[in-house]
Amino acid sequence: MSLAEFHALIAAPATLKILVTTDEDGTPRPAVSDFIAPGDGGTLLYFEPLESSKTQRNLTRAIWFDRPVSVVVVAADGRRFTARGRPQRAVIAGPRFQAHYAAFRADRGDVDLAAVWVIDVTGVEGLDLGADIATEERERPFFRHLDRIARA
Amino acid sequence: MNYVLTRTHFDDTATLREAWAKYPDFPRLIALKIDVQRRGVHYTDGALTLVDPALHQLRSANIFGTRDEKVRYLLPDSLLLRDGTSIVVDPAPLEWGPYVVDRVDDRLFLFDQGERLEEVELWHKPAFYDRSTSSGVPMNLIAQARPQRINIFQSSFCYFWAKDDGGCQFCDIVNFTKQQREVLSDRPERPRARDIAETVKEALKEKGRFTTFCLTGGSVLKGEELFDLEVSHYIETLQAIGENFTTKKFPSQLVASAFNEKQLRRLWEETGLTSYTSDLEVLNERLFEWICPGKAKHVGYREWRDRLIRAVDIFGRGNVNTGIVGGVELARPLGFQGEGEALEATLSEAEYLAERGVTTIHTVWVPRPGSQFRDQVAPSLDYYIRLASGLHRLRVKYGLSIDFDDYRRCGNHPDTDLARLL
Ligand code: SF4
Repeated sequence: MSLAEFHALIAAPATLKILVTTDEDGTPRPAVSDFIAPGDGGTLLYFEPLESSKTQRNLTRAIWFDRPVSVVVVAADGRRFTARGRPQRAVIAGPRFQAHYAAFRADRGDVDLAAVWVIDVTGVEGLDLGADIATEERERPFFRHLDRIARA
Repeated sequence: MNYVLTRTHFDDTATLREAWAKYPDFPRLIALKIDVQRRGVHYTDGALTLVDPALHQLRSANIFGTRDEKVRYLLPDSLLLRDGTSIVVDPAPLEWGPYVVDRVDDRLFLFDQGERLEEVELWHKPAFYDRSTSSGVPMNLIAQARPQRINIFQSSFCYFWAKDDGGCQFCDIVNFTKQQREVLSDRPERPRARDIAETVKEALKEKGRFTTFCLTGGSVLKGEELFDLEVSHYIETLQAIGENFTTKKFPSQLVASAFNEKQLRRLWEETGLTSYTSDLEVLNERLFEWICPGKAKHVGYREWRDRLIRAVDIFGRGNVNTGIVGGVELARPLGFQGEGEALEATLSEAEYLAERGVTTIHTVWVPRPGSQFRDQVAPSLDYYIRLASGLHRLRVKYGLSIDFDDYRRCGNHPDTDLARLL
């Protein structure tokens, strides 16, 4: 999938997006979010409305300690992808933040905006169970139960 | 005893890298911030070509001074790191070995000994800086900005300075005011309430620009009771600010003298103020008497501390704090003789306060040319990392928040930067 196709998928209103960060102890924390948008270059933008949210804390931890994050994307037609990345920047002030703040509120009503996280996407992987089954059966023949290939 | 140390070139470029390696659980960006604050910055000519006075906030009217003997106003105010951390920092003479801000393509980076470390952004100028009040005072002389905060300096004179040796020894407020007067001659001694109300109204037109106010100024001893006049001035200012809000209370911080209960109640009841700070400066009674003789004489260490604790009943846990000038406890000749001892004593006293609902925040001590302690040397980066971590751990242990003085609402305290994880 090209970057343009991936960004188009992210921008589509019917696409389900889940941002996955990790808590301090490493527990994954998924957050279903409408607040993910394509950014410049190979980046995604995540708009965090709450200064006190767990995700805001986890993204801070990620930018400080170089932890990865991922975004699970489910298209309206059922295609699934995972984008891996790292937060590169937290925009919390300045003209760029203010422009996002105004647009976010125009779009979402009376909510605040704590930060716009710029996530540098390092890879996008397709999640296709059918293709994965075919690959495993072809390349890892030991990973199957015998009854599945036994004579009836 | 000759206790005046010769200022040494900060020839400790290995220190930041050593600190990163030694403290893997301490954020590298915050360690960098601390070290930049310790050593100051130098802007190259190349960097200055990216500074646009129409867009960027240049050094403006301030309350405390600079490590440059001369204030150069055409330099950027301060910096932002990519994680949103502010570095409140002033330029230092090159011979002090500051970090260098230089241009690479169309971006700015921090360099040390030629090594590129991190990208930095300049603070942006708020729109109100280009306006004047109806009485003709430029609004940037009424209020000043941080990336997300409005500062209002109530007065640039501290009455502790009126008597010889009364001012705090690390402080340059009065000398700096004299220095600024040559350049900022239009600046009012004390901003008028009407000008403040108009400036705030203008500032609030910029959506998403500000999250809080910080009011501060020198101590005013006058009044029927000590500090009564100071309290009245702040009430007037806070009421003028409050005219602009639909709610009685608005996010705000007052950094002021240690007020008595009656005065604190007035502030709480008559204004929209939501938090209160009164700086002990150094968490040790003996050193307080030496370093802050005016405060010690008029109020005393224990009473200052008790007033903070009593303020918790009025403003609530997590809404009262005290500032210390981190490192000044090691000043020569009477300060602690070693960093370990200084840290232990400071954190133990901070714990006494935390148990009672008062949090302690620190700044990075910069021995300023206009202060009595001008010839002293601030402690190591290692010390500040341990101090910031220790104060943060106390907040975790006692469940104290520091929302009103955090990375975004203030940005000058490495320990409260860590509160982003709380
Ligand atoms: S109280 Fe001390 S630190 Fe504060 S302005 Fe006065 S002399 Fe300076």
